[in-house]
Amino acid sequence: MRTNRKLFLLGSLFVSGLVNAQSATVLYNERVVEIDQTLPDATELWVTPEDLTRVNDFVLKPEGACLDALCIPVLQDRDSDMFVTRQDQGWFNLTGLADKLQQAYATDFSDGVWSFGAMPLERQSFLRGAQAPDFELEDRDGNTVRLSDFRGKKVLLLTWASW
Amino acid sequence: MPVWQVIYDELKDQNFEIISVAQDTGGEEAAGPIFDAAKVSYTALIDVNHHISALYNLVNVPSGVWIDEEGRVKRINEGTYAKSYMNGAFGTDEYVPIVRDWVANGDDSEHVWDADKVKSSIVQRTPEAEMAAPTFRLGTYYFSNDNDAKAEQYWTMAQELDPTSWNYLRQDLVYEEGGSAGPAWQQRVQDVENAGGDYYAPLEIKGADSTDN
Repeated sequence: MRTNRKLFLLGSLFVSGLVNAQSATVLYNERVVEIDQTLPDATELWVTPEDLTRVNDFVLKPEGACLDALCIPVLQDRDSDMFVTRQDQGWFNLTGLADKLQQAYATDFSDGVWSFGAMPLERQSFLRGAQAPDFELEDRDGNTVRLSDFRGKKVLLLTWASW
Repeated sequence: MPVWQVIYDELKDQNFEIISVAQDTGGEEAAGPIFDAAKVSYTALIDVNHHISALYNLVNVPSGVWIDEEGRVKRINEGTYAKSYMNGAFGTDEYVPIVRDWVANGDDSEHVWDADKVKSSIVQRTPEAEMAAPTFRLGTYYFSNDNDAKAEQYWTMAQELDPTSWNYLRQDLVYEEGGSAGPAWQQRVQDVENAGGDYYAPLEIKGADSTDN
């Protein structure tokens, strides 16, 4: 009797957890990516392979999670700390990838908002090679401006503020 | 800013661009009128998330970075005023001449830094300070969704994670009594200077008498 009740309570918690923790908002660079469906987890953010790409352009391939030439190996034929399959749906551990890449992130757990910093691997050419990091921002008319648009010119990059 | 427009008009035909990026959570409403008043024709961007400061490890405004034709950084992390203001109380008249010299002479300019000097001039971050940018970004997300309490929570956290950032401090003070240049800011400047620190990294200009900025 007692055991049954416990199981019932656990079951309710699990269901309410599913309902509350399904969606997430992910911030990365200028992106705000709304994710309808995540795999409920108290501390990690699990997303579908499609949503992984929407967040940070990594693509899940047989050899791993890949961004351009870089591939982080990910086992996909069995569960691991990076990838699990539940009811035929694969889930990728986005925070696990961040930890592997030593990418800083901050989370508001109550609202399910995850904010990711720059990936150190993309910072090496700046910090060690004095190459200017490329960026992508919208100008005041909504056109995308990249530093790399100005290759071939000298650029004076100035920051200022109204305050 | 009107001064930079004059410099730009003078130099723009020499393969030169100015990209001016407002670090302003207030967005177009806060920074737009200032760009408009100066009638800028160079590249004007408004960066509500302070993304450029995060990317280039800049902690104050104004700050400047020289980037050459191949995307290499040639100077970084300087308080880049276009001229001196209030009889030299702040700003400098020494920066614009070296920009001119660089645009004319490229790597032959004596004001161009080598890669080692550039690398050693990039502000270093502790692991905690690396957390500050995504935390500040989280605050800005809440600010843009009208949740001021959470914005304040994460902006405060960002300042604690990276106490070297004047931008995180002053941007937050905009929304508090006293404002971005009020007593809280003055006290911090005093504390840092008393401890032997600088509000801006000292301007290093070869051939100039003064290093004040």
